[in-house]
Amino acid sequence: MQVGLKIWRYDSKTGDRALREYEIDAPEEATLLDCLDIVKDKHDGSLAFRKSCRMMICGSCGMRMDGGAVLACKVRMYDIAQEGRVPVIAAMGNLPIVKDLVVDMDPFWEKMRAVDPYLKPRYDQAQERENVIPAPQMSVIHKESLCINCGCCVSECNSMEVDPDFLGPAALAKGMRFVGDPRDGATIERLEKYSEPHGLWDCTRCYFCSERCPKGVDPRDAIAKLGAEAMKNGIDRDMGAKHARWFVTSAKTTGWLRETELVPKTQGIVSSIREMKFAMGLAVKGKVPPPFPPHVAAEVHESRALFDLVKSQDRNGAAGIVQGEKALGRIESHHDASRGRDPYTEADSAPRPYLPSEREETEGVTP
Amino acid sequence: MKKLAYYKGCLASLSAKELDTSTRALAPKVGYELIELDSVTCCGAGDIHEAEPDYYLHLNARILSYAEATGCDTLMTVCNVCTLNLRQANYQLQIDGDLRQRINDNLEQVGVPPYSGGVEVKHFLWLIAGESFDKLQEVAHKGLKGLKVAPFYGCQILRPSKLMGFEDPDKPSSLERIIEACGGEAVDYPAKIKCCGFPIIQAREETALAELIQPIEQAMEAGADAMVTPCPLCHLSLDAWQSKLKKQTGRDFAMPILHLSQLVGVAAGLTDSELKFRRHVVSVDPVIEKLSV
Repeated sequence: MQVGLKIWRYDSKTGDRALREYEIDAPEEATLLDCLDIVKDKHDGSLAFRKSCRMMICGSCGMRMDGGAVLACKVRMYDIAQEGRVPVIAAMGNLPIVKDLVVDMDPFWEKMRAVDPYLKPRYDQAQERENVIPAPQMSVIHKESLCINCGCCVSECNSMEVDPDFLGPAALAKGMRFVGDPRDGATIERLEKYSEPHGLWDCTRCYFCSERCPKGVDPRDAIAKLGAEAMKNGIDRDMGAKHARWFVTSAKTTGWLRETELVPKTQGIVSSIREMKFAMGLAVKGKVPPPFPPHVAAEVHESRALFDLVKSQDRNGAAGIVQGEKALGRIESHHDASRGRDPYTEADSAPRPYLPSEREETEGVTP
Repeated sequence: MKKLAYYKGCLASLSAKELDTSTRALAPKVGYELIELDSVTCCGAGDIHEAEPDYYLHLNARILSYAEATGCDTLMTVCNVCTLNLRQANYQLQIDGDLRQRINDNLEQVGVPPYSGGVEVKHFLWLIAGESFDKLQEVAHKGLKGLKVAPFYGCQILRPSKLMGFEDPDKPSSLERIIEACGGEAVDYPAKIKCCGFPIIQAREETALAELIQPIEQAMEAGADAMVTPCPLCHLSLDAWQSKLKKQTGRDFAMPILHLSQLVGVAAGLTDSELKFRRHVVSVDPVIEKLSV
């Protein structure tokens, strides 16, 4: 098939930047990475891009296609070529470009290091027997364990774009991978660290990370779980945590958000007084509803009773966030069971892989 | 007239009352009778999902349950954040019978009817850009007269696309089609699908403002007379926080920001008392003047 590509070429030494168009002949099953290989082999040996495994495991080939970060080895070109589209290929965002499609990953690794991306065991010495963790406990960090450090989430992070010091989705998801690990002994220390400025409360909830992740890690969900764990453990000094807390207070007292009190409850009284002039400008337009009498939802006693009931059931912190295949970051296998055979139904087939949060009978302690 | 359960959310109840009045006035013109849910609460706005996740799920199940009790098959929202929170909970409750059973047991204990999973949550944007688009074209006869409008989608009506799924999250077109159906001209700019910064505007104002300036600046450069958004939170940051951008950068953008129901409402001939433009921080007068010529 004929494939057209427009590639942003860049040389950081000279600062030269140009959009070059390539027309290549590629096999129908070719991925974007295969096409780049063909460009480099047959058309322009000076094109620079990273690659290694070619099978979505190594995380080397993150780049942008038509403005969105992708793993080049995951994108099949057949449909795009059929439509006659000529996609624009560029380096990932939020990381400095070295040459063409190669970015400098140092800032990425720096943030990864900042979250201590390794197990800090809760025991001093190696145990005599294997430390077996029940599968449901591991399901809380199942998605986070799938990260291949490709940087696709970081590429489009709206917070990091304006605050380069933000730890960002990849590092925070890695942080959750250890906060949620029952073998780790540094939960509080980690949560304190991740709750600092430029940490978990700096996420702007744009959901680009979860949208772009090629492995279903769903970093925004990981950040929500970190927030939930921080608040469960009383690490709630940050304004972001106070902001979140006020929504809970509002829901169980008046039902609706008590908007006007949100600012002092989040920022404190002193800061709120500094905001007085701004608030007055809003107030004249009716944007600052008077706190008294409060706007109370009908039957609000039900939401109060629900709160007490839910709290008594002790599903606090990250455990309260629905996980696994039922969560948002489900991995798309592109396998449609209605088309073709189910590979796990035959007598000699391998056992069906474990999917977290499925029916209880499939859960339990792994022998 | 199709009956819809209507969940207006916190902002349309309080600081963005103009969204509520214009939505109520517009809905019958495009074929909907709204049944307001009165004994419901805040959806949690992502904050309760983070602070008390299991409580978030129960609160949203309660909203869905009361929507189902109206006999309607659709719960209409007018806010991106409500849409995401309700659709997320609904998705989980619909596909997981065990989870639904656990939540329903709790709902019944406090006197709330159980939720069977029979409601779909749809934003007003999806309804007017979708099933009632023909009606919209009929009622938007008092056209926008070529007004240049910059669509601003915001985040949580596009992403995560697995939960939203109405349109391509990277190349959405619903607002553009509506603007054009109303006789306006949609202007294009890259930041229309990015974040307005609102979720962290109180806790991290500097970061939020650096996000907020992008769409306003780009819409301005693209020649927009006004911006339109389907989300009252985006509206609040774009409209009310413009004064902070002015203080910070010295630039007075004076960009009027319209709620979706106001933009269509203008084209459909809603009255001043329904549109309530006087409640905006940035004056909408330049738009009105342009349209009255």
